[in-house]
Amino acid sequence: MSLVLTGVHKRFKDRDVLRGIDLEIPNGEIHALVGVSGSGKSTLLRIIAGLETLDAGNLTWDETPLDGVPPHLRRITMLSQSPLLFPHLTVGENVTLATPNRSRQEAEAWLSRVRLPGRYDAEIHELSGGEQQRVSFARALAASPRLILLDEPFTNLDPNLKYELQRLIRDLVRELGLTALLVTHDREEAMLVADRVTLLEAGRVRASGTPQVLAETESTFGDFIELDGRLYPSLHIEVTDSPTEETVELVRSFTRFGHRLGEYRRGQGDYVILPRDESFRDGETYYLRKK
Amino acid sequence: MSRSSLWLSLFVLALPFTGVAFLIYETVGFDWSELNDAAWRASLAVTLYVTLVSTVLSLVIGTWLARSVYRRQSTWLASLLRWPMFVPHVAAAYLFYVLFSGGFPFYGLVEANERHHLVVILTYVWKEVPFVFLMVIGTYAQLNQGYVDMAKTLQLTPFEQFKVAEWPFLVKPLLDSFWVLVAFISFAYEVPALLGVTFPELLGVLAYERLTTGLFLNAYESYAVALIWTLFIFIGVIGSYSMTAKRRRRIERGVRR
Amino acid sequence: MSRLIVAGLILFPFIGLFLAFPAAFSWDEAFGNTVLYVIILGLVNVWLGIGTAWWLMFTDSKWKTSVEWFTFLPLFIPVLASMFGMYIALAPLGLVGTHIGVGLVLLVTTLPYSIRLAYNAMYVVGRPLLEQTLTLAPWSRFGFVLFPLLKETIRTIVLFSTVIVLSQFVLVQLMGAGLIPTVTTRLYQAYAGNDVSLALQHTWVLVLVPVLLYLGLDGLFSMWIKLVKGRLR
Repeated sequence: MSLVLTGVHKRFKDRDVLRGIDLEIPNGEIHALVGVSGSGKSTLLRIIAGLETLDAGNLTWDETPLDGVPPHLRRITMLSQSPLLFPHLTVGENVTLATPNRSRQEAEAWLSRVRLPGRYDAEIHELSGGEQQRVSFARALAASPRLILLDEPFTNLDPNLKYELQRLIRDLVRELGLTALLVTHDREEAMLVADRVTLLEAGRVRASGTPQVLAETESTFGDFIELDGRLYPSLHIEVTDSPTEETVELVRSFTRFGHRLGEYRRGQGDYVILPRDESFRDGETYYLRKK
Repeated sequence: MSRSSLWLSLFVLALPFTGVAFLIYETVGFDWSELNDAAWRASLAVTLYVTLVSTVLSLVIGTWLARSVYRRQSTWLASLLRWPMFVPHVAAAYLFYVLFSGGFPFYGLVEANERHHLVVILTYVWKEVPFVFLMVIGTYAQLNQGYVDMAKTLQLTPFEQFKVAEWPFLVKPLLDSFWVLVAFISFAYEVPALLGVTFPELLGVLAYERLTTGLFLNAYESYAVALIWTLFIFIGVIGSYSMTAKRRRRIERGVRR
Repeated sequence: MSRLIVAGLILFPFIGLFLAFPAAFSWDEAFGNTVLYVIILGLVNVWLGIGTAWWLMFTDSKWKTSVEWFTFLPLFIPVLASMFGMYIALAPLGLVGTHIGVGLVLLVTTLPYSIRLAYNAMYVVGRPLLEQTLTLAPWSRFGFVLFPLLKETIRTIVLFSTVIVLSQFVLVQLMGAGLIPTVTTRLYQAYAGNDVSLALQHTWVLVLVPVLLYLGLDGLFSMWIKLVKGRLR
């Protein structure tokens, strides 16, 4: 049982936003889609939700094609950057709206699960941004989806709220056995929340795997570094002690996700983060080379 | 400079209220039972019928068109709907009169002046749909598409999607339009004078005629009717606005544009 | 195909203009009065509409909401009803049968729309941008900035006031005491006399005046903009 995308293409005006996406998300998995702005991740989400059509390719759930099925029949709900609580309703009424039986009790139960008990009759503007986002999450869950899409829902929140909400969502989704697809530009967030991560770059899948595997193969995935007047993905650059024309100085060593990394300063005064060999020492000069 | 404009505007706008005050003054001591004759009662019935049918049709069609233009970005439709706005009501009424006088194109299928006031209604709908369209399209232009998308992904039926993502924002412009149209259509002379029948006449037509022809005493009947009708609308406006005030305030506080 | 049907539905009444041969046009007192009212009321509506909307935009007065309501409420008073009352009120002042009297009541029916249109447009432009113009002298402010920004609105205000003015029969008859003929009052006479070709001629005038005015203003405003841009170089 799973969500399967094969060869998904999407073009907007004169830009190819998605150029052949293949993705498979098994039931019950929390999957993260990571990429910079413009990589096509939000578009992909909207296609899965049914808010956009695909130009080519297939989209199926449990081998049943979803293309052509209107959004309100897909049992796929979405959480956006903005809570988008309907302004003419109270907090609780927003959740009740989504429940299959329009049940106040169910809504109140959901509100308790997102740690907002007793707030049914509150007005939207009485809640903080983070609380509103929690209500929106409760509402998305109340609709009994089989897949929940999360479109950078933590973007507008301050860091503490972010962590709290990330953990809440991860825990609740796991508890309910839901399948979830999270879109984010924050790699750390993806690592924290997801079972598997897919890296999107310029409308294509660049890499896919568990956070551990990706950390080893994609140390700073998404970054670009200039070398010889051209931009290369950081993945294609290595740091070596064999002299080349591009010198860098190792300023700081650290470990992240079990991987040895270093912060290097370049002649122009900018800094890059790249892998570090065990033998490297702080303060020493090393060289950049295209792999 | 805008100060002087303000004071002049206030003076001009005070005139209708002054007019109503004078109507009250003139109808003191009026014998209200005189309004209980068949002509006024029949007029009231037919006026309510024509007003409500015209208004409701205009609101529904105008909103539906605004929605279509919004969803499909049909600028051609928006441009086309401006044409009726160039035609004064009187001219529209006469055009419809000519169209329905027998001969091309309707060949007397419906007569211009007939009991059910169909052509009157048609004329008003033709003229008022663009007005409602204009009032409503502004709301759709400001509508946060996110709400519409959210309603879809929450697995709501298309009707529920409309009810929850669009309707709350339509209440104000539709309420405004409803009362402007009711005030305009229910007590007008120009259009029904050209397209109505001799009995029963619409309220405005009857009032004007009783004012300008016949006995001096009849003038007070017209003033009295004008007064009650204005007060009736006034109560309707106040009532409907206060009933929706709480909801509208809530929307203003909670909406994200 | 469906576009054609919709277009047909919206445009079919215009066929009426061609169903009979209209009488030849001649310039008479009625036409002269009509044109006079249209022009003067257009100008006054633009002046008072924009001026009042400007005040509403910038004022911090506690009366702002009340004034807003005050400008909007007259739309809910049936024109005929307020006309009866205004007739009673203005008769002792000797305004019945005068151009001023008729002009005044015509202004009453048009002004609420003008203020609303101007205010909505200025709201969209936004107070910050409008505030920028306060550093300029009034005529420069209007000529160089406000006018170009608001010219569409000005055209719409003139269109609305023109169409409303052309639609008034009772107002002109009552306040004018039958002494002031307009194209509209003549239309009713022609209708009553069953003179279709004369009535149709008047109908043509009633339709053409707003159209020509709207197009003419477009041309005029374009020339003005060119002039203004020329002077700025």
